[in-house]
Amino acid sequence: MPIHSLGYREWSGQLTTARSQWTVIASIGIRRAWQSMWLRRIVFFAWVPGVMMAVLIYLFEQAASEGQASAFMTGGIVQLFLGRTEREAIRDTFAVNASAIPDLVKYRHAFWCSLLQVLYQRSQAIMLIPVVGITAPPLISQDVRSRAFLLYFSRPISRTQYIFGKAATVACYVLAISLLPGILLYCTGVLLSPDISIVLATWDIPIRILGVTVTMVIPTTCLGLMLSSLTTETRFASFAWFAVWIFGFFAYLVTSSFVNSGARTPLEMLSLFHVIADVQGWLLDVRPNTEIDIVAPLTVLSMVTLVSLTILYKRVSASMSA
Amino acid sequence: MGRQVQKMTQVSLIELSHLTKDYGSFRAINNLTLKIDGGITGLLGPNGAGKSTLIKVLLGLVRCTSGTGRVLGHDILAECDEIRTRVGYMPEDDCYMHGLSGVECVQVAAQLSRFPATEALRRSHEILDFCGTGQERYRNVETYSTGMRQKLRFAMAIVHDPELLILDEPTSGLDPEERESMLNRIQVLSRQMNKAIIICTHILPDVQVVCDRVVILVAGQVILCEDLEILRRSPDPSFTVTVQGNAQLLTEFLRKRGAKTESISDYSVRVYGLEEEVSPMVWQAAADTSTPVRSLVPSRTSLEEIFLKAVQETSHANS
Repeated sequence: MPIHSLGYREWSGQLTTARSQWTVIASIGIRRAWQSMWLRRIVFFAWVPGVMMAVLIYLFEQAASEGQASAFMTGGIVQLFLGRTEREAIRDTFAVNASAIPDLVKYRHAFWCSLLQVLYQRSQAIMLIPVVGITAPPLISQDVRSRAFLLYFSRPISRTQYIFGKAATVACYVLAISLLPGILLYCTGVLLSPDISIVLATWDIPIRILGVTVTMVIPTTCLGLMLSSLTTETRFASFAWFAVWIFGFFAYLVTSSFVNSGARTPLEMLSLFHVIADVQGWLLDVRPNTEIDIVAPLTVLSMVTLVSLTILYKRVSASMSA
Repeated sequence: MGRQVQKMTQVSLIELSHLTKDYGSFRAINNLTLKIDGGITGLLGPNGAGKSTLIKVLLGLVRCTSGTGRVLGHDILAECDEIRTRVGYMPEDDCYMHGLSGVECVQVAAQLSRFPATEALRRSHEILDFCGTGQERYRNVETYSTGMRQKLRFAMAIVHDPELLILDEPTSGLDPEERESMLNRIQVLSRQMNKAIIICTHILPDVQVVCDRVVILVAGQVILCEDLEILRRSPDPSFTVTVQGNAQLLTEFLRKRGAKTESISDYSVRVYGLEEEVSPMVWQAAADTSTPVRSLVPSRTSLEEIFLKAVQETSHANS
């Protein structure tokens, strides 16, 4: 026995609050997930597009200070970064051309939103897939496999706290690649703008960023955890996760090549990537096609979340009583 | 300790009334009424008797179909969190928290029982010392042997200083030395720290060594709930005489004197009767036959005999 061994002693300290146990589960998950080298690489790499967008904001403000904002917008460098959707959105809204003198405040707002749309749809939504694909699959499947449920639920912890703790693990990394770059990009824009009053003209953008990240975090986290709860093998959950995205993407490509109507078809709705992009565009007010009914994508995301949560609760409950 | 003694004297440890639990058409617990007080209680029963279900009902992991119950004075349906805060549970399954070291597992268990993080770590080391876990506490639990995981689960069950400890097969998978250490720890917790303990096991010698009381469960019903000391008293008073050498001469001598005897082995014999009759007769026989007597002790029924008898009686009654 070690020399410091004092045998069993009673404990009479102060307990923490009853609602803080989910943070314990979340912190374990975050620490364990961070051990993945691939996750670390992806999280760091996910910040590169944000840095590039910050450079664009800097160049835009430089051009604006010299009265060259319109020219900058139609210049090659911006055209390279902004997609057709964003270019059309700006052109339609402000009927901008190189010789026009734009309302710089409104113009800046539209430009920032367009940059954010590019950031979220072209890079962060793609990064989201491997980030959730690495963090979510082991979270519950390994607990099912190692029968850790009895260890958790023999403590004063509820199913909701358990699931919330697991979800917080995934959400932490998704927020790290979505909310943080977006907010920092906005802050960069404010700092580079001529005066601080720009905040009054763009106060809604942080709220839009929050909405966009919520759209990314909640359905994907619930779906990832649900898939994780269905199996004891982490690789099966990972496979199912990537299959959902790949299958959806192909369904979208095939359908959209045959059907060229403005509204989304049900098969196109199978692509979570495009459904999330539709909602993001609506939230950032940069929509490629105004005919698209936003109710349908919102309904799809809500259904994915609700169905995933229901299955997740049932699976966790079943493991408790098994 | 004062807190526990006070609470133990005020309320029963476990009080269950007409408890029933159905899994579909299968009735796991059948109208069970039971009252258990402090000390060490052995919960015995054949496979499928409803022991694990009963434990899960006590912890609020599954809801009973009907009936009521209280654990440490808390309602098993409405106050599960309070029960789990005051109860430590060591599962039978080989379960562990994936990807963590031994000390991290115990720390997490303490934190889930609402210990502050730093205090949880300090307490974890203290408990692992008590459980005899050395430097292996820093290794990942996936590399642990069955016995090491068993000790780890025990540490996780007691880290939050519970008043009631429910141990499901605490000595299975342990080598003889570790088994003895585990039983010693259980006795220390009960005798010195005044913890109430329920041991659910198939290893009857363990129950015989540590338990004060036995509850036998068959087909979801309690068929026996009694102090072990009372149970082990033979219905017909008798004494076991062990001699040095052969007991045949002594046995024949006693029979000639009208004593009822039963040969147990070459060197021991059971003599039926009250102490005041048997004792002088045995000493006289030993003197007359020049047989050295090594011991003369009251006969006791083994727990195995009690268990088998109880289970068989219930089986016959049901059939």
